[in-house]
Amino acid sequence: MLDSWGARGLSGFPSMDQRTPLNETDLLRRIATGDGDALSRVFELHSPVVLGLLVRMLGVRAEAEEVLQEVFLQVWMQADRYEESRCSPRGWILMLARSRALDRLRRRMSQQRREDEVAAGEGVAVRPVGTARLEASEQRSRVGTALGVLSPEQRHCIELAFFEGLTHTQIAERLKAPLGTVKSRILLGMNKLRQALSTS
Amino acid sequence: MSADHSLRHEELLPAYALGAVDGEDLREMESHLATGCAECRRQLDLWQGDLEELAASVEPVAPSDMARRRIQKLAGTAAPVRSRPSRWPAILAAASLLVAVFFGWRQARLGEEMERLGAERDRLARQVSGLDQQLGLARAEANRMAESLAIITSPSSRAIVLAGLGPSPNAKGHTFVSPERGKAVFYAFDLPALTPDKTYQLWWIEGGKPVSAGVFKVDERGTGSIQVERAPRGATDAWAVTVEPAGGVPQPTGEMVLKG
Repeated sequence: MLDSWGARGLSGFPSMDQRTPLNETDLLRRIATGDGDALSRVFELHSPVVLGLLVRMLGVRAEAEEVLQEVFLQVWMQADRYEESRCSPRGWILMLARSRALDRLRRRMSQQRREDEVAAGEGVAVRPVGTARLEASEQRSRVGTALGVLSPEQRHCIELAFFEGLTHTQIAERLKAPLGTVKSRILLGMNKLRQALSTS
Repeated sequence: MSADHSLRHEELLPAYALGAVDGEDLREMESHLATGCAECRRQLDLWQGDLEELAASVEPVAPSDMARRRIQKLAGTAAPVRSRPSRWPAILAAASLLVAVFFGWRQARLGEEMERLGAERDRLARQVSGLDQQLGLARAEANRMAESLAIITSPSSRAIVLAGLGPSPNAKGHTFVSPERGKAVFYAFDLPALTPDKTYQLWWIEGGKPVSAGVFKVDERGTGSIQVERAPRGATDAWAVTVEPAGGVPQPTGEMVLKG
């Protein structure tokens, strides 16, 4: 997917090779002053992975596209709130996207609570939407390698928290597992993930 | 590192970064972070860096041409709202994008028929661009008001009246807390405007410790409001407003102007 994106480029936006090297923090600073070209370049750089995350979390392409536009609108309006000392520009934008996707999921959850309860009551193991896509990509990514060192239970708990926005208590209810067990799985899993990322 | 920093806080941080901490654990973690513990902030940033990698590990998806066109259109406008002389073009573009997002969502579901309607929509959108702008702003305001109303009218909602102190004896404030939602909404009245380097900051005091509920500004009438997304579900000692440096502070340092 990325290759075809890269080959085609963004219609209407200047191609990367025609422009000066990018410093992403500078781009956000320029967006904060109203530089539309900087916004285009940040969109060009990060929209595929942001949309990938949104599709992964929401499972519905049309809704993910809608949120993608909201995210970059927020970048346009609030670039001055980015703190370089806290995270990378990509990290900031991804967390904006995740936060908006979680809002959507919570809205959905409140609407579909009854169905969820039925599913949980029947002991259905609900996998995050789009797991197959992540599994395909992770084989070639360092994060995939890092996730591979986690037990399936640890990984499942982390995915439920990160991609579906569930809390300790909600994960325990979803998996019918003791709360303490869920907490341990997330703590141990996150520590293993960090260790694996730092050595990969 | 703050005085009450402990191994337990460090163990809660990974789940806190994930957003998985809830209940008493969440209250404990947020109270601790509100003390300004530099070590926890440092570690939290590191955990969030790991989560960035997790987020970026998904398979990239190329945005549609329509999404690109809309961002391009937005990028072709003048400066965003921070630049006051160019405020209206940016707000107009933002409102236009919000409306376009809404229409785009419907369009994706109705396929080719909606493509035809989309062209018609664009024509109409040009004609009513002034109304589009108002609609986008009104919708955002309506959503905010609806959320506030839901907090105020929830069955277990509690109201706390804050009275003016010191330099603002006539000022007042109202906090409405919904324990079942874990949210609160606060309104301030008759507070003087502050210089740009200052802000008002709302606190609740629990077990003798102040916990930040967020910062807010007031308009020319001295009115301001804030929604608190993670409000205390249990009893509090008091609510208060102080004047602090812009951006807020982990612990109150400035003059208290409202308390109740």
